[in-house]
Amino acid sequence: MIYDREIATERSYLSQKIREFFNENDFLEVETPIMTPIPGMEPHLTPFESDFTDPYGQKTTLYLNTSPELQMKKLLGAGFGNIYNITKVFRNGEVSGGRHNPEFTMLEWYRVNASYKDLMEDCENLIIDLADSPTLNFGEHSIDISKPWDHFTVNELFQKYCNIDLEQNKDFETLKKTAKKHDYNANGCNNWDDLFYKIFLNEIEPTLGFNKPIFVYDYPSSQAALSKKKADNPFWAERFELYIAGNEIANAYGELIDSKEQRTRLQEEQALRKKLNKPVFHIDEEFLTSLESITVPCAGIALGIDRLFMVLLNKKTIEEVLLFPLSKMLNNLNN
Amino acid sequence: MATTTDIRKGIAVVHKGQTWVVIQAQFVSPGKGSAFTRVKLKNLQGGGNAEVTYKSGEAVETADVQNKRCQYMYNDGTNYYFMENDNFEQFSLDAESIGDYSKLMKDGTECYAMYIENKPVSIQLPPKMDFLVTFAEPGVKGDSATGAVKDCTIETGLNVKVPLFVNEGDIIKINTEDFTYVSKAN
Repeated sequence: MIYDREIATERSYLSQKIREFFNENDFLEVETPIMTPIPGMEPHLTPFESDFTDPYGQKTTLYLNTSPELQMKKLLGAGFGNIYNITKVFRNGEVSGGRHNPEFTMLEWYRVNASYKDLMEDCENLIIDLADSPTLNFGEHSIDISKPWDHFTVNELFQKYCNIDLEQNKDFETLKKTAKKHDYNANGCNNWDDLFYKIFLNEIEPTLGFNKPIFVYDYPSSQAALSKKKADNPFWAERFELYIAGNEIANAYGELIDSKEQRTRLQEEQALRKKLNKPVFHIDEEFLTSLESITVPCAGIALGIDRLFMVLLNKKTIEEVLLFPLSKMLNNLNN
Repeated sequence: MATTTDIRKGIAVVHKGQTWVVIQAQFVSPGKGSAFTRVKLKNLQGGGNAEVTYKSGEAVETADVQNKRCQYMYNDGTNYYFMENDNFEQFSLDAESIGDYSKLMKDGTECYAMYIENKPVSIQLPPKMDFLVTFAEPGVKGDSATGAVKDCTIETGLNVKVPLFVNEGDIIKINTEDFTYVSKAN
């Protein structure tokens, strides 16, 4: 392995600038645990697990957090106001190919009395501040990061790139037929969301954010159990993703604060985990109670620090911005 | 047939009726969604690249190819010449078929050649290979701001970033997937 001091220096500088940005904007930095007895319920994530043994030999399963989201919302419920957090998160099974490391650094921030669109502005201001230049060079691309950035709804992108109106293709069978007409195959897809993503990943994602960073917003509600559904059309939810140079950098929600609806949607995720043969976790009751004390609209966002550093430092793989990427540590074992 | 779990660099697959070799495989899970495998492919029948994203677990048609052990001998600037280990028969591949591997080719390199219908189309190097360091700046540099990394040149002419303790004349292991330093060879 080589340990590049220059990368450590850049990371340290950027992390300090991120903290300065949020402190200057009156956010409170909070710390959340790495280990938790109840992990997030996201159906496709696999947390690492371990056992805590107390002095009497009593064991409790603990999970490495896949995201600090539940804890952050408990703090919102406790009236903390605008908060941010830079923490390690862990996702089992996610390695290879340069964009994933099973352990990575997440920046999350939450705004009270705000909508997910306010977070788009935060993203622009933060990244422009970190970049120190109106243009980002990434490989052979030159990305203009001056404001405003591009904004497209998911459905606008499907119409633009695939000539498919998702409003007319809301069930799996219909979408399959439409896909076939366009010569997109549904092989390996078990449901609407799989096929949605297969088309998105093949036809749309590889082109996103090479001229300007792009906010892709209003995702199908089936893919965002912790976000608020759109008031005028509940098929869509208040969620956006930020893409720069084909990289998914951040994921944001207009937060769902209705605890009854949240319970139903967590139960649906429990059912889906069961169907996928994944361990089913308890619903975090304290999380639901906390939502009841949130009385104003809130929005929250998770930004992958390592991927952002890739884009800012013009590195093609996540391994190049990490001092100890897991793939290299494993590779070293087999010398 | 194979599934996406068998897909890795060097595997030949059928896509849109043609034979392609996988040059990169990447795990993708958009927005906490389910898992996909994105592969970069090089066309073995006429050239060109493509990118395809499969649903993880999806059946993928593998191509009917043979892999034979061979040894690299030399190149004349246009073509790269090899010898099959089994029957000492010689064959050549053009620079495009060798691609980035040209940066790692040295006399006597043992590798696998891939054949489609008895015609060699590409080669696969071992995951790690040893190389002689032919140039490296001396040991510890005074300028600590450049960090614990320096450039060196290996016998093929490729520049590689290495730790400060690597010296001219050392043998080092290189990862042939991304051309990076792994360790000093024992």
